[in-house]
This record gives sequence, C-alpha cells and structure tokens, in this order.
Amino acid sequence: MNNVKNLRTFPGNRIIWHAVIVGIVWLLLLVLNNNIDPLYSSYLALVAMYATAMFGMTILVGLSGQVSLGNGALMAVGGYVFALTSMNWQTVPIIGWQWNAVWSMAFAGLGGILIGGIIGGLAARLRGPYLAGLTLGLAVGVPAITNRFPELLGGENGLMLSVPYPAGGYAALDSALGSSSDSSSDGTVDPNSAVEEDQYAELDLSEFEQGADLDADLAPEDLLTDDDLLTEEDFGVGDQLTDDDLLTEEDFGVGDQLTDGDLLTDEDFGTGTDLGIDGGDLGTDLEADLDVGVGTDLGTDPAVDLTGITDAFDSGFIIERWQASMAIAVACLVAFAALNLVRGRQGRVWKAVRDDPVAAAVVGISPSGSKISAFIVSSLFAALAGAVLAQILTLVAPGAFGLGLSLSLLVGIVLGGRSSLLGAILGALLLVWLPELVDGLSGDRGWPEQITNNAPNLLYGLLVVAVVLAAPGGLTGTVRAWIDKGRGKTRSPLS
Amino acid sequence: MTNFIDYLLGGFSNGAVIALMALALVLVWRSTRMVNFAQVGQAMFTTYVALTIQQSTGNWVLALLVAIGAGAILGVIVFFLVIRPVKNSDSTGAIIATFGVLIALQAGAGMIWGGDPRGFIPPVDNAGLEFAGRIWPISPYDILVLSATAALVIGLTLLFTKTSLGLSMRASAFNPEVARLSGVRVNRMLISGWAIAGATGAIGGVLIAPASTISPNSFDILLVFAFTAAVIGGLDSLIGAVTFGIGTGLVISLVSGYSDSGNAPIVALVLLALNLLLKPDGVFGHHGARSV
Amino acid sequence: MLETVDLCVSFGAVKALSGMNLTVPRGEVTAVIGANGAGKSTLMRALAGLVTPQSGQVLFDGRSIAGNKPEDIVRNGLALVPEGRSTIPELTVEENLRLGGLWREKSDRGASKNLVFDLFPILGERASMRADTLSGGERQQLAIGRALMSDPKCLLLDEPSLGLAPLIVTQILELVSRLAKETNLAVLLVEQNAVTALRVATTGVVLNLGEVVKSGPAHEISSDEELRHAYLGY
Repeated sequence: MNNVKNLRTFPGNRIIWHAVIVGIVWLLLLVLNNNIDPLYSSYLALVAMYATAMFGMTILVGLSGQVSLGNGALMAVGGYVFALTSMNWQTVPIIGWQWNAVWSMAFAGLGGILIGGIIGGLAARLRGPYLAGLTLGLAVGVPAITNRFPELLGGENGLMLSVPYPAGGYAALDSALGSSSDSSSDGTVDPNSAVEEDQYAELDLSEFEQGADLDADLAPEDLLTDDDLLTEEDFGVGDQLTDDDLLTEEDFGVGDQLTDGDLLTDEDFGTGTDLGIDGGDLGTDLEADLDVGVGTDLGTDPAVDLTGITDAFDSGFIIERWQASMAIAVACLVAFAALNLVRGRQGRVWKAVRDDPVAAAVVGISPSGSKISAFIVSSLFAALAGAVLAQILTLVAPGAFGLGLSLSLLVGIVLGGRSSLLGAILGALLLVWLPELVDGLSGDRGWPEQITNNAPNLLYGLLVVAVVLAAPGGLTGTVRAWIDKGRGKTRSPLS
Repeated sequence: MTNFIDYLLGGFSNGAVIALMALALVLVWRSTRMVNFAQVGQAMFTTYVALTIQQSTGNWVLALLVAIGAGAILGVIVFFLVIRPVKNSDSTGAIIATFGVLIALQAGAGMIWGGDPRGFIPPVDNAGLEFAGRIWPISPYDILVLSATAALVIGLTLLFTKTSLGLSMRASAFNPEVARLSGVRVNRMLISGWAIAGATGAIGGVLIAPASTISPNSFDILLVFAFTAAVIGGLDSLIGAVTFGIGTGLVISLVSGYSDSGNAPIVALVLLALNLLLKPDGVFGHHGARSV
Repeated sequence: MLETVDLCVSFGAVKALSGMNLTVPRGEVTAVIGANGAGKSTLMRALAGLVTPQSGQVLFDGRSIAGNKPEDIVRNGLALVPEGRSTIPELTVEENLRLGGLWREKSDRGASKNLVFDLFPILGERASMRADTLSGGERQQLAIGRALMSDPKCLLLDEPSLGLAPLIVTQILELVSRLAKETNLAVLLVEQNAVTALRVATTGVVLNLGEVVKSGPAHEISSDEELRHAYLGY
C-alpha cells in the first residue's frame, strides 16, 4: 500500500523535500568550510569532488549493475573540456557573452553526456566482464590520447589552468557559479567576512606553527622565495584583486610546475606509476603545497607587510576555501539530481533492468535504453567531477586521470555501499581520509616511505575483497541491514 | 617495405607474451566463467619473485621455475580466498573482487620491492641477430620467448585434448553439473584451471620483463592487450587467444613503428570496441557476450 | 537396493518433498509419476546428491548416502541422467562417454563402452562427432550411455521422454527395461508421461505435492481410473 501511495503522490513534493535536504547540507558544509583550517578545506574539496563522480558510480555500478572502470577517463573528458574552453574562449560562442568558469563547467558536462552516450551505447550491449574490460581499455586508452595531440592537450605534462578565480571571495563566487542556493549573495557576504576576521585571529596562531613546519620541509627548494615574491606582489596591490588573482594563477603556474615536480617525485618515491588510486594523494599533496604557498607563508614571512595580509583576509579569498565551496556547490547540485533520479521512476527502472532484464523488457522497459541512460548520467557526473578536479589541481594531465583514478572510484563506491548515494559520500570520505590516516600513523611509527605509500592501496584492495565477500552492501548496506534486523525486516543486501 | 618487415618481426615476441596472458585469461574463463582482472597483477608479483631469485642466484631457469610454482600457488590462493566464496552469489561482485586483488597485489609488490622500475637481465642476448648483411629485429632472446610460448601452447593443447585431466577440465568448464554427475571432482578441476592459468601468466611475466622494466604497474597495459586478444579470440578458445595475442602484438608493433608507442593503448581500445560491436562472441567463440 | 526413509527436502519455506518413502529393487524399473511440481525432479536431485535433504534417509546398498557429494555417489554406483539434454554439446560423443567413466580403471571402461555401443549402435557410428550435431533422441541415448559408463548398480532417469517423439521414447525405455532385467540393474524412472512410464515399469509410485499418494504394481495404477483422473490428468 505504501508504495502505491508513494507512486500517486505528486512528485513535486518529493523534489521539494530533496531540495530542502540538499540545501541544508549545502549550507552546513559552507559553514563548516568557513570555520576549518584551509588544509581541511582542501580535503573537503577533494571529498566533494570524489562524491560528485561517485554519485555517478552509484547509479552505474550499483543501480544499473554495470561495472565500469572508465569513469576516471570520463573525468578526464570533463577536465580537458573545462581546461580547453576556459583557456581558449574569451566569449561564449554565438551568444557572445563574457566567458566564465560556469560556462566551462557546462561544456564539460555536455562533453561528458556526449562521450557517455557513445560509450554507453556500446557498453549496453555487453555482459559484465566484457563491459569491465572495455571500460578498462578506456581507462588506459583515453589518457594515452593526450599524448597523441601534444600541441592541443599538452601531452604528458598536461595543461596548466588559469582558473578565473573571482575577486571578492565568496560573494562573487556565488554569482559566478550561478548558485541556486536560497541565500542571496548579499546575505552570504556579511556573515562570511565576519567569520573571516575571527578566523584570522585563530589562523594567525595555528597556522603559524604549521607553516613553520612546512617551511622547514620546503626550505631546500626555491619554492618559498618564489611564492613569497608572488604573494607580496599580489597582495600589495590590494584593490585590483581580480587582475591580480589571474596573475597569481599564472604566476603560480611557475610554482605549480615545481609542485608538479614534487608530485612526480612523490609518485616516483612511493609507488612508481601507482599514481592511480592516489588521484587523492595527488590532490592532497598539491593542496598541501598550495597551502604553504598561499595561506601559511603569509604568516611566517616577516617581510610581508601587515596591511597586505589584512587586506588579503578581508577580501576573504583563501584558495582552498574557494575550491572547497566550488566543489561543494557542484556536489550538492549533482546530489540533488541524483536523489531525484535514484528515488524516482528512473531509479526503479535501473534496478528492474539490473535484477532481471527480461522481466523488465516484458513490462515495456528497454534494457539497453536503461543501461545507456545510466551511463550518460554517470558520465555527466564524472565529467563535472573532472572539471572540479581540474580546478582543484589547476592542472589537467593524463597522470591525474589514469587507471588508478578509475579504480579508486570503484573502491570508494564498493566500500561505501554500491547502491546508495550516502555510500558514495562515505566512500569519498574514505578515499581522502585513509591515506591521511596511514600517513599519520606512519609519521608516528617512522615507517619507510615504501610502506607508507602503498599501505592505503593494500588496505583498499583487501577491503574491497572483504566487503564483496562479507558485506556486499558496503558500509551503508551493512548498517541498514542492522537497522532492519532490529526492526525485524529483511532486505536484499543490494536493494 | 623493409620497415614493415622489421616492425612485423619485432612484434612477434611481444605478441607471444600477450598470447600467454590471453591464454591465462582464457584458462580462468574456461574453468570459472569469469575474467580474472588480477591475472597480470599475479604475473607481476611472480615476476618480482623471479627477479629476486635471479638476482640472488643468477640462475634464470631456477627463477622461471620458482615463478611458475609461485604463479600456480598464487592462482590457487586467489581462487580459494576470493573467487570460490563470491562466485555464485554476485557476478558484479566477482568482477570487482578481482580488481580488489589487483590493487592489493600492486600495493603489496610496491611495499616489498618498491616502486622504482627494475631491469631484468635476459638469460641470452637480447640484441638483434646479424644475418645476411644486416641486423634483424629478432634477438636470441626473442627466439627463446617464441619457442617457450610455442612449447607451452602445444603442451596445453595436448593436455586438454589427450589427457583425462584435460577432458575433466573441459567438461567442468562447459557443464559443471553434468561433470559432477559423471564423477568428476569439479572443484579440483577449477583449482587446476586457476593453477595452470597462474603458471601460464607467470611464464608470460618472466618472459616479458627483460623487454623493458618491471614495476608494480608496468603490466597494466598488458592486461588491456591480453583482454583484447582473449575477447577477440572468443574468451573460450585457446587457439583464439594465441592467434589474436600474436596478432595484437604485431598490430601494436606496426602502430608503434609507424607512429608512436603511446598510441598502442588507443589502438587496442579501438580493436576491442570494434570487435565487441561487430563480433561480440569473438572469432572462435560460440557464446553470448552481448546481454541484450 | 535404493531406499528412502521419510525424505524431506525444502527450498526456503517451500516443502518440495515431505516424508517420502520409496524402495527401488534390482532388476526392474520403478516409475515415479505425477504432475508438474509434484516433486519428482527434486527427488532425483536429492538422490544424486545435487540437493541436500532436510531430513530423512537415503539408503543405497544398505549405506546412508544422504548429503554425500554427487561425484562420490556416482562413484558408488548410483548414476543420474538428469532432465533435458544432459550431454555436453561442446564435446564429441566419444568424449561424452569417456567422461562418464574417467575415474574407473581403463580396462573396465572399455567393457562399459562396448556395452553402450551394443545397446545404442548409433553412438558408435557418431563417436567422433560433436554432441550438438545429434538429434534429440540420440542425445538422450548418449546421456544414458554416459551414465552407464560408470557401471551403475542403480540408474536414475529423470523425464527421458521430455521433448522426444513417443516412438523414440518407447524404444529407449524398452531398451532400459530389458537392460534392467538382463543385468540386474535397479532403475528409477521419473515421468510426467504416465502411460509410457507405467508400460515399462514393474512398480508405480504416484507423487503429488511432495507426498506419495499411492504405490503398487504398475498395472494396478494404470487401471485405477480415479487415481488417473485425480493426479495424472488423463
């Protein structure tokens, strides 16, 4: 009866509920983002980015039952479209409006839909292992395409991005991203800047120590001097932040190359070509470096003049916070779409085809249509996540979108719970948190780097096997099963 | 034209190794009707084992034999710990589990042997042979690889067609229930299948290692090539795996020769996509790859 | 020879067999008949070890075999020819037959093979052809032949008439019946096609919804009009 009633309810009610839920979460995340250390903001950005991609995996792998290793490659599509459009287009073609990041995001999404449709059309005809193999080929083949067109796509080194960071921090960000959140841009400015000032007081102390640490780490490299020069130059100008920020980005291009260099060394030290699952690591490492460059060094360098700092913080622009709020915005919009799809008619169609394609066909559902639609949706989400990742890294390169990224998405979705959007979020948290945890442990115990760098992947691999064998519903499925057991209900672990 | 012949000749040895990996995939498919995506991970691991043996004893044959044994054991371990518990309940889960094994093996190898690429010294000269006034792109080592592959393929064919074990394994693969009702201990046949596949993959790994370097991820691309070859061959067919393994090797060699080796994965992807689109059951296969 | 005592088999909450008692003596054909869903195939699968009984006993040669593995049961002399075309189409006829006795001594195998080729000459003619080139009747012969390769003391036949022309069914079943008498083989035949089954059987057992409704001499059952109407549908 309950189901019948649900079906008859006007779907608008459900959509409003979803909007309210997502809106509240969004708001909470923004408040959180504004009140944590910028380092944690950078983690938050990565979690949101992973979650965005993994909502698509929930739909594709969980609901539609198609094991895909190609979503990392689809993220590459989004990332490269974002990079190419934002680098090469000053105005929107045909319409002629001023270009900004939102347009690039939109085009990245379109690219994802297009590629997803093509691959989905091919994939929908295939059974499990064939599909997995084809998408595996995609994960290995697509990054290789970048080497095929080195002038356009930058080859192995990829493309450095000048992401159009808006001036004026969050207020401008809201308008730039065309935020559909209820709070008006004006409404967010005041509390934010208030928070920023409080934050500054805190930051001054906590960041200082951390900064000193990192400073010591980085001392041998020329990074510090470079960055300091840049910061002085940038923040000194004060009012004309927009231009300066753009400059910063370009200048950071130089810094980034160094960071990039760091990345490569890290990678080489640790896992060789193991880049993969450490798409996460990649990001976080970069973040840490950026953190040193932009946020913390300000505090540590006595040469920086104080008004410059105050101006910078008054303007509210901290790159990690900006990235996190951008990633959160995308993740929330995608979550809203995913919620409506999963809990609506389409979700039931996907599950029906997954569980019994013949029966679904008998009641008039096209199995291949359903599989293709799942592919397109997940591809759209992946492309958006790729565009977000491109902005977080300010770089698109084949190494960042390799097989490892695809595998890590699969790991995350399996550990969190294959068929649940909440599982995708938990999986994303796990992907970002576990390497940090291991890193922390290793720091305490003094493990060699060889162990530290591989421990997260070893854990992921073993956990994936264990979860598939013992708790196919993942974290969320298992918890839900416990709850249902308490209530005396039974349910299939994958429902 | 000379270039063409050189590229073609240069592809045989790589093709033979791709054929071995494809054979391993086919052997597993025949025994448990699943694709073991961890196969090259297992091969990578046993190749590191062989490398360790070779570096400490200097004996290549011993290294190969140990790798074969380790490959068989690793195959059986993966079968018992992962595949048997998961197999029937959840086909999606089985695929995912093999990727879990792959990730764990790569990380494990990274922990034990580090991530830096390592060289593997071939037992015989790997430089091109000089003959009829020019240097050919075939080395004594290539000849070793080719003859080892040929011997293995002939051995496997005889095993499957002429022996009771082979008949039992084939019957278990085609119809486990009828096999059991005929008194065949199907479980042992599945284990044998995984063991033989593991050993075959291990041989492939040891043979390919001197061609470049070995690192925890260096065989990823080999997985794509081997899967392509196995699928085009029909996943079920030993002949198909060998034919298209070598064929894939030749195509890759030509592509790398005429353009750039970085294009090889793209070509493999295109081959795979075309095959799945046009002839999804493979050239030698007779079962459904398509779901709808 | 083969005996079941209070055999119960369930699938989840569904009881497929409840308290089945059955005796299959040597040298004759015992027919279990009943409509679709009566539990006939479940009985066969439980006897052969493909399904584990919930409770009750299966005694074979006086020893309990309930819960044993199918491959052990067939090695003890209880061979099942399952429902449908239970051959392996990818193998040749000869390989299919060889498969049936792989675990036996090579010399014993040869004798069984001669017996099968005598019984079903067509299999000898087609020995090197793939099983999927055979007709339905030939394949059923091959399946029975494969079971005979294990030199069974008791042969279980599950719905051999399925999808075959009546004439062929009669031929095959009469061969089996003669074999039972001549070699003192116990045969348990499960059939929906009651007329054919009761014609070759000595004893008949009527099964309905997992319970034995009636058992007795085959001719008595085939002449019991009430029984026929109620359970056999003709």
